[in-house]
Amino acid sequence: MSRESLVDHARALDCIHCGLCLTTCPTYQLTGSETSSPRGRIHLMRAVAEGRAEPDATFEDEMNFCLVCRHCESVCPAGVEFGAMMEFSRGALLERRPPGPLARLARWVGFRGILVRRAGLRLAAMGLRAVQLLRLDVITSPLLGLRGQIFRNLPRVPSARERRPLPPVTEAEGPARGTVLVLDGCVMPELFGRVNRAMTDVLAATGREVRSVPKHVCCGALHAHNGELNQAEDLARLTIAQFEEVDGSAPVVIDSAGCGAHMKEYGRLLANDPEWRGRASAFAARVVDLTEELASPEATARLQERLGDGHGIEGPVTWDDPCHLCHGQGVREQPRQLLDLVPGLERVEMPGADSCCGSAGIYTVLRPEDSLEVLDPKLESLESTGAKTLVTANPGCHQQWQIGVGKTGKGVEVLHLAEVLERALKPR
Amino acid sequence: MGSDGKQLSRRHLAELERIVGKKGVRADPTARSAYESDAFMLQRASAEVIVLPRTTAEAAAAIKVLREAGLVVVPRGAGTGLSGGARPVENGAIVGTARMRDVLEVNAEDRYARVQAGVVNVHLTAACADAGLFYGPDPSSQTACTIGGNVGNNSGGPHGFKYGSTNRHVLGLTMVDSSGEVIQLGGPGAAGDGDLDLLGPVVGSEGMLGLVTEVTVQLLPRPEKVETLLCLFESLDACCDAVSEMIARRLEPSAIEILDRLTIEAVEASVLRAGYPDNAEAVMLVEVEGGDEEVDATSADVIEVARAFGAFDTRRTTDPVERKRLWAGRKGAFGAMGRIAPDLYVADVVAPRTRLREIVSAATVACRERNLKLANVFHAGDGNLHPNISYDRRDADEVRRVLEAGRIIMEACVAAGGSLTGEHGIGLEKQDEMCLVFSDDDLEAMDQLRAAFDPDAFWNPGKMLPVRGCREIHTRPLPVHSPAAEGAS
Ligand SMILES: Cc1cc2nc3c(=O)[nH]c(=O)nc-3n(C[C@H](O)[C@H](O)[C@H](O)COP(=O)(O)OP(=O)(O)OC[C@H]3O[C@@H](n4cnc5c(N)ncnc54)[C@H](O)[C@@H]3O)c2cc1C
Ligand code: SF4
Ligand code: SF4
Repeated sequence: MSRESLVDHARALDCIHCGLCLTTCPTYQLTGSETSSPRGRIHLMRAVAEGRAEPDATFEDEMNFCLVCRHCESVCPAGVEFGAMMEFSRGALLERRPPGPLARLARWVGFRGILVRRAGLRLAAMGLRAVQLLRLDVITSPLLGLRGQIFRNLPRVPSARERRPLPPVTEAEGPARGTVLVLDGCVMPELFGRVNRAMTDVLAATGREVRSVPKHVCCGALHAHNGELNQAEDLARLTIAQFEEVDGSAPVVIDSAGCGAHMKEYGRLLANDPEWRGRASAFAARVVDLTEELASPEATARLQERLGDGHGIEGPVTWDDPCHLCHGQGVREQPRQLLDLVPGLERVEMPGADSCCGSAGIYTVLRPEDSLEVLDPKLESLESTGAKTLVTANPGCHQQWQIGVGKTGKGVEVLHLAEVLERALKPR
Repeated sequence: MGSDGKQLSRRHLAELERIVGKKGVRADPTARSAYESDAFMLQRASAEVIVLPRTTAEAAAAIKVLREAGLVVVPRGAGTGLSGGARPVENGAIVGTARMRDVLEVNAEDRYARVQAGVVNVHLTAACADAGLFYGPDPSSQTACTIGGNVGNNSGGPHGFKYGSTNRHVLGLTMVDSSGEVIQLGGPGAAGDGDLDLLGPVVGSEGMLGLVTEVTVQLLPRPEKVETLLCLFESLDACCDAVSEMIARRLEPSAIEILDRLTIEAVEASVLRAGYPDNAEAVMLVEVEGGDEEVDATSADVIEVARAFGAFDTRRTTDPVERKRLWAGRKGAFGAMGRIAPDLYVADVVAPRTRLREIVSAATVACRERNLKLANVFHAGDGNLHPNISYDRRDADEVRRVLEAGRIIMEACVAAGGSLTGEHGIGLEKQDEMCLVFSDDDLEAMDQLRAAFDPDAFWNPGKMLPVRGCREIHTRPLPVHSPAAEGAS
């Protein structure tokens, strides 16, 4: 394949090399190396495309070292679309230099066997639950080194009851405000089914009729971030079709920031497909994060009537911005406003709340050492706030924080924002 | 492009890794290539090795090894410099301070801070905020640039109008010299202790006298009240004239900035959208600080002058969020220009503040004649102009025209009694133009000063001072040398 096709050359030209993005980048923070900074990575992409550098092992490693947290995009005055460029580079690298047989098998099982099939996901969850019930994770974790530390602190897979899918329809409470569609998600129902249910309950409490899309499994975000672009495109088409089948115009509400950020970009993902381009953009425009939906004046008014103080959540709480919510979707104020609605809950700001926790999709598994090193300063920062509860809105971050809090042994509870609101709902 | 001439021997490499740790050395060509330029993109070269020490001691030990290996050294902070100062040189290593980012001491009582050279400018201000203090120099790149780099370039910022550049704030330095020895200059209480003042020459020396590893700076108390004013003009000329009048009337705001229409459009299209109105040809951003009454009086005077010169709308705000937004737009202005073309040439010249309008027109004409896109954004308060020319470095002819226009602008400033650089340094970009201002004798004296610190040209050789003699460079007689105009503050 040609060098130009290895990177998104046109996008790379947007960068004027000003360096304003350096300090925000977690991998630059970690290493102090400009090669591991956004500007450095863009330089590498451009140099490779222009034949001034080789797409060698260093190049590949720097591309994979990136967490695709997109913090650099939030501060880049030139509007560089870094996330899109990185997906492109990773995709091209995969094609150019496929990984070894073992890694290929693992990718195949992960991306094609498990993530996209409900049965596969269920099987994996059951397997993990069995391991956890038998405490095999504790026994085997020393053998696995760092990955073991992560393995041991993975969230407990809940019982099958909790893992049941969302009902197709949940009735609105009180005066109805129309329908919304929600995403069950791939990993969410298996590990965080309770979060999905909390989202549904809270939406219903604000007068929304909530419909799920039972056929749907995966939006393809993890595929795209890891360079499996063809599959990501297929999954986008499938997602759009399946959601449209249930309802062609209702807002699509997402409680997983990574999925939301990706689905909002379906238009770009399918831009080269003349048949789907328009449809994808129209669909993307319907996607909102749960916090955007709930922060609307109508929903907030309803929440204010329903939220009470018998919630038992230990304060102070602090909000940790998921990267794909604040940098990916520009949503920063809404979650804070929502937490402030809960009576009797003190909220404190965490320094560096908008920097990456190191979860980054499957990064925790691919690069456990880097992932935990990125998390370390966040843990210090959490401790400095004295918060007793940490609130997030993305399954990857949720899990990463559980791993981190588990590691430090400090009893901080990690909750999804939907769970906080649901616990604070007064019975009607 | 640089050469890969001298290979660092395995032994030296191992020695460096032992000193700074494996993660502190980047030696393979792909990794090194990320350092081939700073924010001045017109010239690139490759470094033989990148070394990132964590402490003064590590830096000193690494310098000894590099010297023994026969390399020379280019100090580097965040590489946000706009004149090529931190670009690698032939046969040279980069020693970067990106892992030296500890604030070592904040002394609220005596109002000073001691920091490692790699501390990012805004992190210093954040570290002393609780004590009600702040650090004065605020380059627009302050979210990324380092205190060491600020020392290197004697950087200023919008508030340089009131607070001056870095040289007015540095109390002491720890440096590694070319033999790898650690030397101390000045210190928190050193002012006026009778020693030879060596801080002066080091601040602004662009990495040519040694590697700064720690810096002691004075801190300032936060003003009681801060107000930001936005004045909108229908013409850039009128806006420039209003500034000249404010200066003539001796008004003392802490910052006066001007952005022209193209810049406003770029900023408004970026993530740093500041809410600058789109119906203005020029925006003047003014900040006034001090006690309540003082601020009210000065703001009223500023607005009166602006109105008299045709400002069609003025706004004032003391709301911190709103102020931050207005400034974020200004500070992101260079970057936002990236939307206009792939590359940006940021000129940096100083004009006498009574002749702003004249220099701006000279720049406009020079660019128009060469079919180049020009945007103006500048620290009008201290006469520091930044005509920004967009280009695409892949177009060789355009690059030539950009450099030509840049030179014409510099010449116009020098002829008007201004200077070659306000705050971005000479670096590689303006070496030849040094001869517009200085005679061979002047340059010889500078070289002797350099040699007193660094007899073997070990530090950042080939920067700032012209490599060729001025006689070779001159194509026209020297304008009158006006030392008073050197420096922006
Ligand atoms: C968007 C943008 C806006 C800017 N706005 C301003 C502005 O408003 N005002 C302003 O003055 N500048 C501005 N600059 C220029 C630049 O940011 C400053 O010159 C800054 O001080 C450079 O800091 P740095 O850490 O990036 O240093 P570098 O670029 O890495 O180095 C600058 C020079 O200092 C030397 N140096 C660096 N560290 C050391 C050290 N530890 N010891 C000895 N020498 C050292 C280098 O060799 C080089 O010559 C801007 C740049 C950009 C990209
Ligand atoms: S901030 Fe944007 S333009 Fe500047 S170096 Fe980073 S990516 Fe490039
Ligand atoms: S996406 Fe995150 S990790 Fe990757 S370059 Fe940008 S800031 Fe760094």
